[in-house]
Amino acid sequence: MLRTLLAAAAAAAIAGGAQAQTVKIAILGPMAFVQGENHWAGAEMARDEINKAGGINVGGKRVQIELIRADTNEIQSVPDATNAIERVITRDKVDFLVGGFRSEAVLAMQEVAADNKKLFLGAGAAHPQLGAKVEKDYNRFKYWFRVTPLHVGDLVKASFAVLGVAAAQFRQERKGATPKVAIIAEKAIWTEGIVKAAQANFPKMKLDLVGLWQPSAVATDVSAELAGIKRSGADLVFTVLSGPVGIVVGRQMGEQQLAAVAVGINVEAQKDEFWQATAGKAQFVSTLETVSEVEMTPKTVPFYNAFRARFKKGPTYNAAGAYDALHLLKEAIEKAGTTDTEKLIPVLEKTIFTGVGGVIEFDKRHDLIFGPGRVTGLAIQWQDGHKIPFWPAGVKGIKPFKLPAP
Amino acid sequence: MFLLRWMWANLRNEVLVLPSRILALAWVVAVLLLPLAFPDAYVLRIATFACLFAIFAASWDLLAGYTGQVSFGHALFFGAGAYASALLSLRLGLSPWFTVWIGAAVATVFGAVVGFLCQRLRGAYLSLATLAFPLIALGLLFAFPDFSGGELGVSGLRRLAASATGNYYVAALSMLAIVFGLWLLADSKFGIVLHAIRDDEVAARASGINTPRYKLAVFALSAAAAGFAGALFAHYLRIAGPSTLEVALSFQVVIWGIFGGAATIYGPVAAVFILYPLTEWLGSYGAFGELRLLAFAVIVLLVLLFMPRGLAPWVRDKVESQCPRCKQRNRAWRSVCRLCNAPLRLGAA
Repeated sequence: MLRTLLAAAAAAAIAGGAQAQTVKIAILGPMAFVQGENHWAGAEMARDEINKAGGINVGGKRVQIELIRADTNEIQSVPDATNAIERVITRDKVDFLVGGFRSEAVLAMQEVAADNKKLFLGAGAAHPQLGAKVEKDYNRFKYWFRVTPLHVGDLVKASFAVLGVAAAQFRQERKGATPKVAIIAEKAIWTEGIVKAAQANFPKMKLDLVGLWQPSAVATDVSAELAGIKRSGADLVFTVLSGPVGIVVGRQMGEQQLAAVAVGINVEAQKDEFWQATAGKAQFVSTLETVSEVEMTPKTVPFYNAFRARFKKGPTYNAAGAYDALHLLKEAIEKAGTTDTEKLIPVLEKTIFTGVGGVIEFDKRHDLIFGPGRVTGLAIQWQDGHKIPFWPAGVKGIKPFKLPAP
Repeated sequence: MFLLRWMWANLRNEVLVLPSRILALAWVVAVLLLPLAFPDAYVLRIATFACLFAIFAASWDLLAGYTGQVSFGHALFFGAGAYASALLSLRLGLSPWFTVWIGAAVATVFGAVVGFLCQRLRGAYLSLATLAFPLIALGLLFAFPDFSGGELGVSGLRRLAASATGNYYVAALSMLAIVFGLWLLADSKFGIVLHAIRDDEVAARASGINTPRYKLAVFALSAAAAGFAGALFAHYLRIAGPSTLEVALSFQVVIWGIFGGAATIYGPVAAVFILYPLTEWLGSYGAFGELRLLAFAVIVLLVLLFMPRGLAPWVRDKVESQCPRCKQRNRAWRSVCRLCNAPLRLGAA
């Protein structure tokens, strides 16, 4: 009896010791949705890689990563998101937080992370205000770092750069003709700033702006808008779309045989299922992307292929962000030799880390630094049912952008 | 000493005589002592939200349950209170202790306006009309993003108290005061008039009751309570965003109201205190948690199937019976009325 008790006590002690040998990371996301699913999948991949390689070296001691899956339900409820983050901090006693998607919810979650002085690596929300809070009240919000995506302002810069590439190719193929550009932006608050910037900058980019069309984000028919675009004689259509209307635009552009090519942001076109959803009519539609099968960094293609092999589909930016966040944490912890948040923050602020989507370096707002050699994102074009990356130039795996025959 | 004796006499003669009142007292004590038993920040967060949503649910019940003005857009008042308090606190630097009252006042105005505009509408038409108001408000918020913060809302608000326990007590004491106040109101002559309006408005008018005035008053009162809850919610979360006006929140309060039992005040409050922690608890169970909405729907449907009047009236009917003569309530196991000695069951004398 005594031996049994002693054995049980020893087992408990070993189990307790084993528990102490882990770094607990909460993966926060709307797990019933594709964003949360990808957060978790990317984090699982990183955890398995790190643990298989011996874990994290914390001041000479190897520790394993333990992930805690936290469904924030943030798309449907902001309080649920704050409850989830509080739960993982106070109940699960996690060391670090990774994830988030809906900006309004992440703003509220950021407060809970700041209250508890927990490092929170964002992997989904794009609103610039998240970083602005770090600049405004550094001591409270220094715990927030945005690993992905670029904030909205930088996404606009990237989309203008891609449009510039398409326009240059148009001029080259059509013997210097000035491209006519139509804007099709869903009627939503987030598109307003982009539309204003486009209207102000297109003339400077020597583009002939022929009009603005604003369907609903959930419109099921945009034939009237596309007829207007066709009549305007547009050569390029600058898209600013995040909702299901992106599929409708892609399909009906094909059905109406528009000679114009869609360039810009179309979140639906980032998905593998886009070609099928548009019944194969989305030829030449392009959009900004985060990861694809091109060597943005030496890590991109191995990550992309491994993700595809394991999950039978391509990763979204949330997966790449969560994956990078875990590897970034590992590197920072090993450099600092500790998991102490206060000591990790200066290390992260100085880190230049090669991730799968680019080279991560944070600015004073703890946002990603945008530009060549850092993070730019990339652009893909649908060509015969395949996502073909065509921007930025000079990256291995980049293929030519195509315009339809005149 | 006299006060203590008076309190004890009241407790013994008014509260301890009925199981439902004992239950209510136990709940009040539990609400007040919760931070001592569970000082955990997570538990306090759930309880704080439960308190705030309980005010919101009770306010809906006064309007929909008692007066029959079923609002499908109650989030309008919650959001109005949240945004008014948040904007005043942030833009003018006013203390949140002051702005929460202004939030309630702004919501009251919204309530009066909605009540006035919907005065000629009845039943489903009224419900559908009220559904439109938060959507209009959302449209206005998005139309003036520089003022309202657009899709992101107004963030960086000051909390009413620094600690989790302090914030909990702000919410809990506000909830107890407002819920008790609404219950007293509903139990008063004013409440009887509201019942009359709900049951037969034409008959109420024929009896000389100025029904439009009462309806307007109840819209304003209900909105004031919802707005106060919204204002507290915004300062607790430190953000007032479009989610405070979402249709989902408007329907959530209808579910709480129907689940707990309409026209009771305490029913929707009980529903919030059961369903809110329950869904959160379901949410904490890994993959199962992602099915929480389904589980939530099943629980609500089962309760409504077996307890069509709602949970609280069902429980009350199980533990208490009504005297056929004096209409006072008694413990279910009593054979004669505690007040008039009339037999409560056939064959009892």
